[in-house]
Amino acid sequence: MSHFMPTAPNPTGLVLFPAFDWCISPTHPEREERLLYTKDQLIEEGLEDVENISFFNPEIAQHKDIDRVHICVPSSQKLLTESHLISAGGAIRAARAVMDKQVKKAFAVVRPPGHHAMQTVFGDRGFCIVNIEAIMVEYIRRHYGVRKVAIVDTDCHHGDGTQDIFYNDPDTLFISLHQDGRTLYPGTGFIHEAGGPSAPGYTINLPLPPATSEEGFDMAMERVIMPLLDDFQPEIIINSAGQDNHYTDPITNMNFTAQGYARLNRLLNPDICVLEGGYSIEGALPYTNLGIILAMAGLDTSNVKEPDYDPRNFIQSADMNSHIATVCDQALELYKQRDRLKKDLAGEKVVKTSKRIFYDTTGFDVEEERSYHTCPHCPGFTEVTASGLNNYVHAFTIPFNSCKKCRDRAKDLYRTTDPRGFGSVVLQDRVADTYEVKKNKN
Amino acid sequence: MALIIGIDVGGTHADGVLLDGEKILVKNKVQVDQDNLSDSIIALLKTLLPDSPADLARIHLSTTLCTNAIVNETFDKVGMFIQAGPGMNPNFLDCGEHVCFLNGAIDHRGHIIKSPDQSTIDDAAVTFKDKGIESIGVVTKFSHRNNSHEQDTHDRLADSFPHISMGHRISGLPNFPRRVYSTWLNAALKSRFMFFKEAMENGLQQLKINCPCYILKADGGTIPFTAASDTPCESVHSGPSASVMGCLALQKNIHDAVLLDIGGTTTDIAIFADGSPLLEPYGVTIKERPTLIRALNTKSIGLGGDSAVSYTDKDFSIGPQKEGPPLALGGNVPTPTDAMIVLKTLQIGDGAKAEQAMLQLIPDQTPEKTAVQLLQAFANRINQVVEQMIEEVFSRPVYTVAALLNLKRINPKEIILVGGPAKAIQQILADTLQLPCSVPEHYEVANAIGSGRTRPTLQATLYADTSDGTLSIPETGYRGTVRSYFDMSDAEARLTEVITTMAAEFGMEKIPEIDFLERQEMNTVRGFSSSGKIISLKAQIRPGLEQL
Repeated sequence: MSHFMPTAPNPTGLVLFPAFDWCISPTHPEREERLLYTKDQLIEEGLEDVENISFFNPEIAQHKDIDRVHICVPSSQKLLTESHLISAGGAIRAARAVMDKQVKKAFAVVRPPGHHAMQTVFGDRGFCIVNIEAIMVEYIRRHYGVRKVAIVDTDCHHGDGTQDIFYNDPDTLFISLHQDGRTLYPGTGFIHEAGGPSAPGYTINLPLPPATSEEGFDMAMERVIMPLLDDFQPEIIINSAGQDNHYTDPITNMNFTAQGYARLNRLLNPDICVLEGGYSIEGALPYTNLGIILAMAGLDTSNVKEPDYDPRNFIQSADMNSHIATVCDQALELYKQRDRLKKDLAGEKVVKTSKRIFYDTTGFDVEEERSYHTCPHCPGFTEVTASGLNNYVHAFTIPFNSCKKCRDRAKDLYRTTDPRGFGSVVLQDRVADTYEVKKNKN
Repeated sequence: MALIIGIDVGGTHADGVLLDGEKILVKNKVQVDQDNLSDSIIALLKTLLPDSPADLARIHLSTTLCTNAIVNETFDKVGMFIQAGPGMNPNFLDCGEHVCFLNGAIDHRGHIIKSPDQSTIDDAAVTFKDKGIESIGVVTKFSHRNNSHEQDTHDRLADSFPHISMGHRISGLPNFPRRVYSTWLNAALKSRFMFFKEAMENGLQQLKINCPCYILKADGGTIPFTAASDTPCESVHSGPSASVMGCLALQKNIHDAVLLDIGGTTTDIAIFADGSPLLEPYGVTIKERPTLIRALNTKSIGLGGDSAVSYTDKDFSIGPQKEGPPLALGGNVPTPTDAMIVLKTLQIGDGAKAEQAMLQLIPDQTPEKTAVQLLQAFANRINQVVEQMIEEVFSRPVYTVAALLNLKRINPKEIILVGGPAKAIQQILADTLQLPCSVPEHYEVANAIGSGRTRPTLQATLYADTSDGTLSIPETGYRGTVRSYFDMSDAEARLTEVITTMAAEFGMEKIPEIDFLERQEMNTVRGFSSSGKIISLKAQIRPGLEQL
């Protein structure tokens, strides 16, 4: 070991994959140029030579890894390009580096992002097709036997896809802090969205007012997120590390900083970070990404400041502070009441919900109905029907933590359900790790 | 007749050859006095000279001068000016006692955020002068994108200090800490190199030689002696280059291959892909300092014929240290050389003592069996390191979908083996690595031949930003304007021109093929419309042999 370069106290892996040859469209925020300056900054800093920081290329995820999480319509083969498999594979590679103890922590700086992708996928929404964190979580559950996972989504937009996928899973604590849904895409993420019948209180939303700055994020971290994590005791903490809360981001209205992101990650101490959004590609991402990496690695972040950083610009009003304090109190109360909430719902065998999902990138709607088949012994199984773009799917999902009885019931239902028209029937069995599809013959 | 002298200075000996094309006319070896390198070299040169000195076209020299200076830490005092800007805390940078950190910054796009305070520069200059410092290094973050803070600081100091090294002139590659250490090293070697150059020039004059003299670099290329005085750091670590290029000269038709240079204490490993030796992605690491000094990707392990061997827990431990000569040659500890003597693949020394060495390691089995096992362990260790090197090359980061999908692992087809024990372990290496293994003829002077046959290497990088209208070629110090329709073909044309000019300055008669690497062309979009393009491109003349 040489003293000519710093040594990271926490060995940290970096999957830096800017996908310079992929875009949604040439002028879209999710375009080739997005991570150009971030890559330039990270390489110029000499991170490759810092002791205990290791770079990994992404692997290419298999369709099996996608099908473990999503129900793609018509199929994952038809919807996904290699770029999506690489982005998901980047998250998997980061997780493997941690689970195989090659490093202590890892950050997948990859694109395209994933946190708006829900369980059923008909196309691209919110720049995402597949949910790379969720794919990673189910991958490590499958391959490493991990059970309890906490996902803290620090992107400025509500992580509605991740929420949807883990909504009824009491082994996943999902916390999203984001700009209030009344003022920003996707328009969800309110406190009352608190989890399905088997997992009430395990989805925690912290909608923050526009212009929230370092103080507001500190408050959410200290008052809610850290105490909840202490109580939940996850085996793994994941940060959905979007960086669009930055004061220079062109498509959001928050007032957060590189220093703030670094502090948040030092406190959160995530095992794995996965890049989500962040579209201030020159003024923010080079600094926020560097700040997060150095914080994860346990290195000094005091010099990671935007060129125009001035602490005086980041003072919050008393009104804003008290508003955020109220949000924090409500969220805390919700988590505390989670056992009572579950008891209230205990009598109902099947809980039905429905929603309309808008796919903004190409512009169409999907109508979705979901039945949670509850169980006193396990989280039960889920039945989903979804239709849109002249496609139809009827799916049964057996979660990794379901009991044998629920599993058998879901399989029976799959067997006795016939495909309708051009649609298909799907059995997604995360216990057996299989994905079966039935279609009409013609 | 165009004759070339190639000289390779090693730790104890200097080897030299007089070449007429591929033919070796004279070869010789002298002891080296590391404190008076130029005397030793001139003495060797005298024995190699052709009858008519006018027939001599060039002298190529691979020297340990700078390597020794680094090992012995006989450096010039260097005053460093460093502008780090936002990012990692720069306090870790260790460039001795005389460092002045400048405020201000240049960002990742080469935009000037703020210029440094001139008074800080002036104050430090006074202090440095008081301390008797003559050599200065100036480095800013992102100076490969915009050299103006380095250049301005240089200009401000030019009248006060005789030697000023600037980061962007050493390499156009990114990596700020490496740029700092390269620049510091370059400045620290300056007076020692100038002293050597003067001594060599006097010596050559006395021998009435006035042909050009080239110095071997770490990247398997040469640089004219005169040009090297600006970048003395380029002459470090040239030994492995000499050996690799020597193999390329001695062994015809190398494609994908592993090169092993097995000596008494170390084994140097290099890898060839498509007929060229692989380069380090950034540069060589010198005494733990990472640099941007372009270098071949070689690995040196403490494993050689004379490495000390012990045997514990049914396992051989070989090296990394050497404790005197092999037992069969009068030493005290068993070595792989003793095993080779026992197996009669090496006909030197005292056979009985070699057997004793094997019995000393494992008393209850035949010396032959122990010898075979020991050499197998030796070969296994080499195999392991070769695989590790191939894996490291395979794992280098890529940044595009196309590159990731096209990643291919190097699959060597042969081993080329040089060095003292080469022939004695040829067979076991071939069996262990499961590749044909050859020992080229004249391998004992491979390094001198490599030094003699090597041509110059060159590199230039271009960064154009058409929305800002700027163009930088750091290696030449160029920074100017560019039109909005500048494109990749213009970039190629521009770099071809730069390389051609450099090649002429380097005395190259024929310009070899120019490689264009790391092509990157990116639209910049502001708002919802395209504002321009960022184009970056690297051009190089890769390491190769002078065409005969």
